[in-house]
Amino acid sequence: MKGTSLELDGVSVQYGNTTALEAVSLSISAGERVGLVGPSGSGKTTLLRLLNGSVLPDQGDVHVSGSPLYTLSRTDLRRVRASIGFVYQDHRLVPNLQVSQNVIAGQLGRVSLLKSLRMMLFPSRVMVEKAHEILCRVGIGEKLFERTDHLSGGQQQRVAIARALFQEPQVLLADEPVSSVDPARAKDAVELLTRISREENLTLVMSLHNLDLAREYCERLIGLRRGRIVFDEPTSSIQESHFSELYRIGEGEMLADGA
Amino acid sequence: MILCLMIAFVWAYSHLGLRGEDLHPSSGGLKVLGEFAARALTPALTSEADFVPEGTRPLLYIALSSARTTLFFAAAGMSLGLFLGIVLGFFSSTSWWAGDFGGVRRSSPSRILGRVLFPVLYGGSRVIINLMRSTHEVLWAVLFLTAFGLSNTAAVLAIAIPYGGTLAKIFSEMVDETTREPAHALRGAGASGLQTYSFALVPQALPDMIGYSFYRFECALRSSAILGFFGFPTLGLFIRQSFSSLNYGEVWTFLYVLLGMVLIFDWWSGAVRRRLAP
Amino acid sequence: MRRQEDKGRSQEVQLLLAERPRNRFVRGSLYLLLALIMVSWTFGDLQVDELFSTHRLRNLNRFLSEVRPFPLHGKEWDWGVALSWAQEIFKREGLEATLSTLGISVVAILLAGFFGSLMALPAARNLACSEPFLPEIRPPPLRARVFYALLAPVTRFALILLRAIPEYIWAFILLAVMGPSAWPAIVALAIHNTGILGRLQAETVENVNPNPLSALRGLGGKRSQLAAVGLLPLLLPRGLLYLFYRWETCVREATVLGMLGFSSLGFWITDARARLQYDRFLFFVLLGAAVVLIGDFISAFLRRIVRKA
Ligand SMILES: Nc1ncnc2c1ncn2[C@@H]1O[C@H](COP(=O)(O)OP(=O)(O)OP(=O)(O)O)[C@@H](O)[C@H]1O
Ligand SMILES: [Mg+2]
Repeated sequence: MKGTSLELDGVSVQYGNTTALEAVSLSISAGERVGLVGPSGSGKTTLLRLLNGSVLPDQGDVHVSGSPLYTLSRTDLRRVRASIGFVYQDHRLVPNLQVSQNVIAGQLGRVSLLKSLRMMLFPSRVMVEKAHEILCRVGIGEKLFERTDHLSGGQQQRVAIARALFQEPQVLLADEPVSSVDPARAKDAVELLTRISREENLTLVMSLHNLDLAREYCERLIGLRRGRIVFDEPTSSIQESHFSELYRIGEGEMLADGA
Repeated sequence: MILCLMIAFVWAYSHLGLRGEDLHPSSGGLKVLGEFAARALTPALTSEADFVPEGTRPLLYIALSSARTTLFFAAAGMSLGLFLGIVLGFFSSTSWWAGDFGGVRRSSPSRILGRVLFPVLYGGSRVIINLMRSTHEVLWAVLFLTAFGLSNTAAVLAIAIPYGGTLAKIFSEMVDETTREPAHALRGAGASGLQTYSFALVPQALPDMIGYSFYRFECALRSSAILGFFGFPTLGLFIRQSFSSLNYGEVWTFLYVLLGMVLIFDWWSGAVRRRLAP
Repeated sequence: MRRQEDKGRSQEVQLLLAERPRNRFVRGSLYLLLALIMVSWTFGDLQVDELFSTHRLRNLNRFLSEVRPFPLHGKEWDWGVALSWAQEIFKREGLEATLSTLGISVVAILLAGFFGSLMALPAARNLACSEPFLPEIRPPPLRARVFYALLAPVTRFALILLRAIPEYIWAFILLAVMGPSAWPAIVALAIHNTGILGRLQAETVENVNPNPLSALRGLGGKRSQLAAVGLLPLLLPRGLLYLFYRWETCVREATVLGMLGFSSLGFWITDARARLQYDRFLFFVLLGAAVVLIGDFISAFLRRIVRKA
């Protein structure tokens, strides 16, 4: 069966003396589509990065598919990471490589150094065609050999999605996949991600600022506020009051703004 | 700052015991200058020596073949230097092991690798490249000459060593200065440190690296010509010979050949860099 | 059905591949360079194998036996003796040579900085044109237009010529003209670096933000006023960075230029070599390396200060 379950177990993360996440526990089962909402700075990005092990928790544990992420050996960690696709808020593509190379780089986690050299410099025909197929799926097939930094922000975002898909992941993490595109395209991108996750039974976790999109496309919503979970419920039982509670400007923040 | 520079200037000036009037050439010097400058527009096309031994090659042949030697030494030295620069540059850059690529286990043997082995390798290669760089190519050449005697390999090595050090330093700085985000992304997708280095960090620095290598090639050409002054069969040798036998026309011929080569390379490296700019 | 789709895709990819933007010039340049390198290794008469022939190795052996400090010839190695030997040479010649090497480099780079900045102004295409930063209402007279059309290219070419000829050759020729003093070395270094700093500075001028200068020009500022008021403050930090960076190279070159016969380190290197005193020879080479490292260190330190300010 495809899809991988994710679990956070009493996780706290601190950067210096700011607490990004505090005692967060949740579990996401395989194939679930979860939206992460919350005001700026509430810890959405941090939570997503915990899930592929690029942030270390100060307390608690992260389990991917039942195995605890931080006791894995180097090779096991690589394998787990290779099965998790991450679409970053700021794309994080290599600007002066071709789109095809950026997409193919998604597979680096699965091959040795020598093989990856061949793959990146002289990709086989099969590989290029696969990259093309995925790019067509995200709607920019004709950009295959373009230089990545010659694309618009929205197109680069699609390349980032394509790279994550090229990984053949079981989990797709997306950090505000709509931040750099116009509203219509934002909807497109979210729809694309959910469609793909449905088609391939991928676990999908994405953070979203757009609440309407979050409600429309996610089965389950998790509200974060100042590093704590405020609600974690199926979308059907979410009320408007949930959101107003989530985005309410707290007293401390009022003071800070006034000062 | 400016004041400090002025003080430094005054100190250096007085320490060297420089006098303004020494700047004016003596009458003998003026004569040399006049005769030398007079030939600028009429470089020699055939040998100017009073006595040309039987079997001597024509001047233009000598000029072109020494230009060829100059070019060959520069290219060979530069290629060796590039090799050293790439290898040592890799070890002198921190970005493939230091910093937070995230997610290594809290207590893992690889941590020890990152804390001890890599820093030691890094420090070691920094020391090596600084030693390579600290001695001028001419001094390397003289050192090899003294140790081995005259050999063309000595010229190539003399260029390769300091150039390798400099290239390593610049390459590592260029790679370390690139943005790290793409590297983090690949790391998060399971790529190893070496893979992220080769496919996220180096590609971003590559245009600068290529541009700089072309520029250094031009410098290598000059260095190679200079080595001739120490006996290697490059342009410098013939410039020195002709100048000392007062055949200024010949000197100009050789100078023009050198100038031509350098100008071509200057244009070439400029053109490449312009096209690599984003 | 599936197969047909695959075939269509592969055709499409081929098409895209054929149309992809390519940088033919850079690619060609790289291949050409590679070819050049291969040719030079094959036809360069580099005598690599000959380097390890027996008489070379004999040379090497002799050299290695003679680089031992003189008082220690044929004796056990003793750090104390070696150090006092080194100290004595350093006191007798080394210190003086080190200081004059540094002195030559300092005078030369400051001269180069001065003349380089001066030449940068007519070399900058945005300043040295007939209508700098602001179009004129009446077109300038033909004479002025021709003059300014020529000024920048001619200055640039002059700068290229200055830097295309290596310091060593300048010094070699100047030595014959000026006679022995530190001047030929200084002037040679200054000439070459004027060419380099001039171009770098000209590029800074060309990349300057034109808006404030347009405003100044609009107020009726002359070119010289623009340069003094509008450009100088902007150029200074960048110029100092370049200056210190080139000074590093100047120290290196100053060591070597002494070989032509000025009292810098290079002079003592050739001197020791000519007398076959290989121990002193190596001592001075190492001292030169130390001086260069110190120069690098000072330069890095100064550049950090400039960057912060
Ligand atoms: N690298 C870091 N160093 C220090 N503090 C950090 C770092 N990354 C995040 N933080 C802090 O952690 C908290 C949570 O940040 P996070 O990026 O997870 O928020 P977010 O919900 O993704 O916000 P946004 O919606 O603006 O992207 C914030 O207070 C932030 O300032
Ligand atoms: Mg965020």
